Amino acid sequence: MTCVEVRENLVICWGDADELSAEVLAHLAECEACRLEAMLLRETRIMLRSLPDEQAPVGLTEGVLARLADEEAQVGLPGRVAAWFVPQDQPAWARAAAVGVALALAVAGGSVLYHGQQPAGNEPETVVATTQGQVPGQAEYDELLLRHRALEASQALADDPGVTLVTYYR
Amino acid sequence: MLPAGSLNNRRGVASTRMAKAATLSQAEIERFVERAKRGDRRAFGRLVDEYKDKIYSYVSRMLGDPYEAEDVTQEAFVRAYRSLPRFRGAASFHTWLYRIAGNLAIDVVRRRKRNDVSAFSLDEPLESDDGEYEREIADDTGGPEDATGTRETQLAVRRAIMDLPEKLRDVMILYELQGETYEDIAEILDVPLGTVKSRLFNARNQLKERLQSLVEAGEIEVEQ
Ligand SMILES: [Zn+2]
Repeated sequence: MTCVEVRENLVICWGDADELSAEVLAHLAECEACRLEAMLLRETRIMLRSLPDEQAPVGLTEGVLARLADEEAQVGLPGRVAAWFVPQDQPAWARAAAVGVALALAVAGGSVLYHGQQPAGNEPETVVATTQGQVPGQAEYDELLLRHRALEASQALADDPGVTLVTYYR
Repeated sequence: MLPAGSLNNRRGVASTRMAKAATLSQAEIERFVERAKRGDRRAFGRLVDEYKDKIYSYVSRMLGDPYEAEDVTQEAFVRAYRSLPRFRGAASFHTWLYRIAGNLAIDVVRRRKRNDVSAFSLDEPLESDDGEYEREIADDTGGPEDATGTRETQLAVRRAIMDLPEKLRDVMILYELQGETYEDIAEILDVPLGTVKSRLFNARNQLKERLQSLVEAGEIEVEQ
């Protein structure tokens, strides 16, 4: 066994002798450099484990719930309504109708941005409604849309947490 | 590449304590998710209670800043609530939450890079007497393997983790400190299992080198 192979084995078990094969142990008995390497790994693990646990600050849950209540009282509804009404397994007309309803609400709410793009060929039409309570600038909007598109391309119906949005296909 | 065996071994202590915090059964979680999807904020509150420590500690370790971590954690839950109707249960709820929080944390990291802000606010929060970190370090919930390192060592380890490239840092934190499985990490990061393992391998190597140089320079000690 070469030193390189031995070291790969060492990293995999943090240099813990209990988890090493007889072959690796035999190498360690002969090779001081690899023994040192094993010791360094064990020390690293000890240091890593010296980190204490971290706990969420007191009041975090209450803070989240207060924000949700605020948002829903103000402008959050259209985004959620749209999302409720647009399951992907619904027919296209139902999805389109739901988007229409959501957008009508959005306009009524006055502070939800929506944006439709005409599909080119078979491209999906995407409607973005943010429930931030403020209208994002064009740059931010573009970034959100790009991110959503990238996610969408990488997997079927990705959940993009960055924005509440509705996508449907013609 | 990596030898055939997995990078399996004992987890960091944090993970065992992390697991203890879970109080809801899988069935309860599913029930609360369904209720929250229909707009029941109280049900969602139960889910936040269940996962807040996990998500906060992940974000805090990614960012190295307790104040920012609090904001990001809160934002992650708010966004999760908004996105819940689109949560189909294909992924487990906790990996889905991690994913949301992770994306937000990465956004912060990238924004910092663009603004050239130091990635680790060591000085202020850690050295102030009223700081969050004071609470966090002192908040020792017991157990034989609990935090034993000196403050200097803990700081050095945090800094060394922060110095890892963000892809390695993510895997290192999720596996070694959060106690997540390879499978869940692959789902959270949306990468193949093999990528998780090779990143973890590289992360361990790099962490070892960084910490070792500090030990050699006499800046930190290892407590055996
Ligand atoms: Zn050797």
